[in-house]
Amino acid sequence: MSKKAKDEILDKLKAAPQTDVPPRPTVPPLNELAWNREERIEKLAENLTLLGCAVHRARDAEETVNKMTEIARAEGLTKIIASEDDVVATLNLAEWGKSNNIEVFTPRDGHDREAFKRIVFEEVQAGVTGVDFAVAESGTLCLIHDERQPRLVSLAPIRHIAIVPVERIHPIYESVTDTLFENREKAPSHITFISGPSMTADIQGSLFKGMHGPKTVTVILVEQTAT
Amino acid sequence: MKVKSEQFREVAIEELKTRHTRSHLDVIGLFISEMRRASMGTFPDPSAALELGRAIRAESIERLPELLEEFERNATANGAVVHWARDADEANALILRIAQERNVRLVTKGKSMVTEETGLNDVLIENGLEVFETDLGEFIIQLLGRPPFHIQGPALNIPVQEICDLFMEKGIMNEPTLDPVELGHAARVFLRNKFHHVDMAITGVNFAVAQTGTIINVENEGNIRLTKSSPRTQVSVMTLEKVVPTMQDAMHMLRLLCRNCTGQKIASYVSMDSGPNKGREVDGPRELFIVILDNGRSSFYRDPEVREILRCIRCGVCMLECPVYGKIGGYPYGWAYSGPMGQVLNPLMLGLERTQDLYRACTFCGGCKTACPAGIDHPQKFLYYRAKDVEGDPRYKGKRRPWTESSFMGIFTWVTKRRWRWNLGIKAARPFLNRHVEQGFIRGMKGPVEGWFKSRDFPAMAEKTFHDRMQERGSRESGEPSRS
Amino acid sequence: MDNPSLFIPCMVDLFLPEIGEACLRVLRRLDLDPIYHPEQTCCGQPAIHAGYVKKAKDSAKHFIDVFGEDDAVVCPAGSCVCTVKDRYPDLLQDEPTWLRRAEDLAPRVYELSQYIVDVMGVEDLGASYEGRVAYHESCRVLRGLGVSEQPKKLIKAVSGAELVPMQGAEVCCGFGGEFSTNYPEISEVLVSEKAANYIASGADVLVACDPGCLLNIGGYLNRNHPEKRIMHVASFLAEAIQDGRT
Repeated sequence: MSKKAKDEILDKLKAAPQTDVPPRPTVPPLNELAWNREERIEKLAENLTLLGCAVHRARDAEETVNKMTEIARAEGLTKIIASEDDVVATLNLAEWGKSNNIEVFTPRDGHDREAFKRIVFEEVQAGVTGVDFAVAESGTLCLIHDERQPRLVSLAPIRHIAIVPVERIHPIYESVTDTLFENREKAPSHITFISGPSMTADIQGSLFKGMHGPKTVTVILVEQTAT
Repeated sequence: MKVKSEQFREVAIEELKTRHTRSHLDVIGLFISEMRRASMGTFPDPSAALELGRAIRAESIERLPELLEEFERNATANGAVVHWARDADEANALILRIAQERNVRLVTKGKSMVTEETGLNDVLIENGLEVFETDLGEFIIQLLGRPPFHIQGPALNIPVQEICDLFMEKGIMNEPTLDPVELGHAARVFLRNKFHHVDMAITGVNFAVAQTGTIINVENEGNIRLTKSSPRTQVSVMTLEKVVPTMQDAMHMLRLLCRNCTGQKIASYVSMDSGPNKGREVDGPRELFIVILDNGRSSFYRDPEVREILRCIRCGVCMLECPVYGKIGGYPYGWAYSGPMGQVLNPLMLGLERTQDLYRACTFCGGCKTACPAGIDHPQKFLYYRAKDVEGDPRYKGKRRPWTESSFMGIFTWVTKRRWRWNLGIKAARPFLNRHVEQGFIRGMKGPVEGWFKSRDFPAMAEKTFHDRMQERGSRESGEPSRS
Repeated sequence: MDNPSLFIPCMVDLFLPEIGEACLRVLRRLDLDPIYHPEQTCCGQPAIHAGYVKKAKDSAKHFIDVFGEDDAVVCPAGSCVCTVKDRYPDLLQDEPTWLRRAEDLAPRVYELSQYIVDVMGVEDLGASYEGRVAYHESCRVLRGLGVSEQPKKLIKAVSGAELVPMQGAEVCCGFGGEFSTNYPEISEVLVSEKAANYIASGADVLVACDPGCLLNIGGYLNRNHPEKRIMHVASFLAEAIQDGRT
């Protein structure tokens, strides 16, 4: 049935008179491409702040973990979930959680989808992830989702804490997509661009953060990571 | 969705008198316009960026069949299952079957204009499924049973009191509140439960990338990401024209979409699906169905004059720029699509006869066309539809105009062919027009033009036309065509 | 430079002939002796807008016959110039000879201020006016022709005239030809807001380049604020020209 529909639709489209495809205009390269490493870091931080994200800096894994402690105390965190991506893996959050009386779940603690969802929707107060890329042009965090980096960790809890190694900061979106989609077969099945907290102004134009996704996004920019 | 385009005039008059409508439209207009100007200014050459967007969309539509085939090939290679549907019934039946085969009880939906076009929700609900719109504005209007007020804010005009009453009545919350943030929070808690337990996701598609077989969704709330992450089954519905050639093209259009829609550089969340999850993930869909819907588009694709309206990326900047929409909001347009983009699309979808006002209620200010990042010439389409009406073209369900009008136009154009006829026409019209003149102005006139005079005067026809004055002066003439 | 030919829109011919006379005075100020073809009637826009494209061809062909040989055609109305430049080629698509003539004529048709500033290279007409002037950006002039700086330059060059900003100067006044009588309720809201913005600007006079806008805003002002003036740019300049010749 669907094949018949497909053929009918395509036949109609192909039978239509053809007109010329207009040539593409030349456009100057985006300003962001001219930024050097320092500028990219600064611009990322600036854009993250404009989006309402809290931005911290850390030199290395140890300082990152100290920042985590600060944040956890300030927010009164007792239960969090951390993804198992390569950035978070450098922090040994299981250890950290034990020393700080914070229960640190991982996706594998949910033995199946339902158990995982219960943790991430009902139990935890924050989700901690690394990032695969960060895009300076707009303060955007880019996550590749796979079994070590589930989708819901950065989405369901009311707080998202993201660890961003500065060497993963790129100037524009194409810096990310050109790499990821160079080879279709190796392309990730799901990627997200996260730019700030969840937002709406649907009721009388009043801004409300944390509509469905996180209300706060806290970013720790890390100079040196062991990945 | 019920079609109410024939009530455009009455609904417009109502909306003009509605304080909430007017004040919200004014505020949205001002606020988003400013942000849009600023964010478009981040391009080194904003008008080149606009032109590139137009070229990408023009190419997308000119190469449509080829790009759709490429998209299907790549999406299928990614593991998605691609279905094609000729019309709304086929699409709805298909999606219902997918749901029933999997014993789906609960569905959450991301904002999708195409599923409003097909009336999908009603079909699913009739068959015993629970369906929840999850975009806050869509959620509210779903509960109210109302059409969208505005493309970016479907429920912006609804007063908090009404939302509070609604939420109390429907059990969304237990304690009344007029605080928009608390109301939003109540919706969050209620819908969170649905996201947690949802069986099947239904989303629209902002862009379908042919090169990689990827579908892209853009949002601020996170409801689409949640909908795509929680259940095992995802159905994403796209109409033919959503396809773009490459991922680089998609990124450029993404920038233009966000800037022109809400004035942001980018929305809070952009999610890209290249197939279902790879099998070992604990969340995300095991099955991804992509439904490619035609619903009449392949028919009007055949006419190169109207094909260009398929370039639309649903950014809504035309509504932001439109002086008419800016006063009346979305309700009067009477269907899923409003503002100038609705005015070009609805007549093709519903027929010219049922949408007379949609392509006539335009001042030709050109705001839409000037701003459109997809390169659509809306005013030119309106003229085309009016001409199709006059012809009574059956392909467009054109309705022949009243004989009084066509006679008048016949006489008018005949009279323009020769000055002596024009002069005669003036001599005949003048005493009639000027019969009630006060201090050089006409204050009122019954008949088709009487609406003008409610708040305006009109100058009397001059006793001596410009032509008369020139004749009297005996000004120099040269190169006259043959007199008659 | 050859003398331009004057294209007088039917609205001006019938209802606002003083605008035509003002055009003559202004162009003569530039030592031009404008040609007036008495055979001209109407560009056919009302018929085109109503969808009577076959019938409107007659109007278009007559126009091309009248103006086809002129080096430059100058018109005090943006919407009429747009009709000739943008709509005529569409209209005559299936008649190659006429199409060629229409496409040939299009670049030679100008809105008045565009002609004075861009073609004649003049901004200062040696005129004077004491007072504040607001400028309404008629849609067909601004977006239809991309003309905006030219009339403002002409106004600013008038000694004593102060061009003041007006909120919503680029917003449509709600005329749109048949729109104003077919959808008068919406049109009325737009024109009343335009008038309110004009009054709020504190200007002594409002100037515009399109007679349609003038009829609309002027009609509203006459009924509701008769002490407030709106003038066509030609009339404003003609009045300000101290020793205008006729």
